[in-house]
Amino acid sequence: MFLLSFLRVIKFSLQDIGRNIWLSLITVVIITLALFSVNLLLTVKILTSATVSAVKEKVDVSLYLKAEAPENLILALKSQISNLNSVKQIDYVSKEAAMESFRVKHKNNPEVLRALLELGKNPLSPSLIIKPRDINNYEELIASLNKIDNDIIESRNFDDHKAILAKINNIAEKANQTGLFVSSLFVLITILVVYNAVRVAIFTHKREIGIMKLVGASTWFIRAPFLISGLIYALLGVLLIIIVIYPFLNLIQPYLATFFSGFEVNLLAYYNGNFLLIFGLEFLAASLVNVLASLIAVGKYSKV
Amino acid sequence: MIKLANITKIYPPDITALHKVNLHIKPGEFISIVGQSGTGKTTLVKLLISEEKADQGKIIVGGWDITAIGQAEIPILRRQIGVVFQDFKLLHKKTLFENVAFALQVCGERQRKINSIVPQVLKIVGLENKMHRYPLEVSGGEQQRAVIARALVHRPKILLADEPTGNLDSINADEIIEILQKINKFGTTVVLVTHNREVVNKLRKRVITIENGLIVGDQAVGKYIL
Repeated sequence: MFLLSFLRVIKFSLQDIGRNIWLSLITVVIITLALFSVNLLLTVKILTSATVSAVKEKVDVSLYLKAEAPENLILALKSQISNLNSVKQIDYVSKEAAMESFRVKHKNNPEVLRALLELGKNPLSPSLIIKPRDINNYEELIASLNKIDNDIIESRNFDDHKAILAKINNIAEKANQTGLFVSSLFVLITILVVYNAVRVAIFTHKREIGIMKLVGASTWFIRAPFLISGLIYALLGVLLIIIVIYPFLNLIQPYLATFFSGFEVNLLAYYNGNFLLIFGLEFLAASLVNVLASLIAVGKYSKV
Repeated sequence: MIKLANITKIYPPDITALHKVNLHIKPGEFISIVGQSGTGKTTLVKLLISEEKADQGKIIVGGWDITAIGQAEIPILRRQIGVVFQDFKLLHKKTLFENVAFALQVCGERQRKINSIVPQVLKIVGLENKMHRYPLEVSGGEQQRAVIARALVHRPKILLADEPTGNLDSINADEIIEILQKINKFGTTVVLVTHNREVVNKLRKRVITIENGLIVGDQAVGKYIL
């Protein structure tokens, strides 16, 4: 008997969705719009954290060496530094490489190139570019580098980096805090909008709920079709958002790639990699809000 | 079949709808409850289907004391009483067949049985050719007949009809009363709540008259005397 009632409830629910097609469509569209804004927020969040970590990735320390330093001593120093725990990566930039890089950088500035030519020799020093393993342990890295006593080191001035790093950390923290606040506000508004949409949908059934009660339908028998409709609306909303969000991501990806050129920012890859997690959670959240709204609304209108 | 002992119902703040009402309706009876608007007739019906709770007294329906009935038992009570309302109360998004079937579906009746009983009941009320129409596609009289079919479909021992002819013209009203009489002949106790003088006088059955929440008349073969 339970199975029979359950199947009937599903049938009533599908029948109700079909026979109130406009109301059903509006409810699904509202859920989809709400999910779209959640996804938009997620996109912004991904971009913010990608930018911050990309900038952090770019933070490095340059150790300038004497121009006449022999290559074998430089390589020995490189090896010594790479053994430090706080070092993620170390690159040796020879005088020639530095010169080449300088030329490329100023290829559109003939005056600089002419001045370089007039100089007649390579004025640049070789250097070691060191990337910290963890940006938070930057101080530790500096302390370790300061401890190294080697004659080939020409200069080690890290103060500017510290200021930049503090700025980046500050911006990242503020971005996170603002993001969290805006996200919470947005999610709250979304929940309220969906909650109200479901309540309005059920309000239009107020009369029917009363009649069902008078005919002898149990509260469960009245509630269940609305709960199932809520789940179907959530599922349709998520399916629709999947259909909408991918073309949207495809559309903005080239612009993002241009804007963040040099950084690894791929929203499509992120969505593909976390497909189940993102849309599964969105389905669960939409279902939860729908079910909650249905329970409250039906409870309110079925007191006959 | 139905027993009301000292029933009092007061609506806040201090409107007494029924005051110490005593009534005994025997099985198979056809009684008319008459009175002007606002005298407590509909409250009586609401008490019998537990849509309202009495403030004092005792209500027994079919041997079941429903005075302090629990919320979970109300659907069970309502499945045993057929109710016909003035405003029909049909589900507009369901066909007449589905409306009648719904009363059986809520009880968990098998679909095969529903498919066999519902057309029979709709035939009794003369709607066999319109069973797949929606309520708003048929006349008021036909809607009311569908409501009677829904009330009858689980073969209730009691049929409560609250102003069933209130929204109908005289021809349709007569047809509805004829159907109620037919149902009564099959053994169902019929309680007709009305203020239609013509209908009551034509019936020549027991008449209970209510005025200001009090029973002021109980005639075995009565007339509308107000």
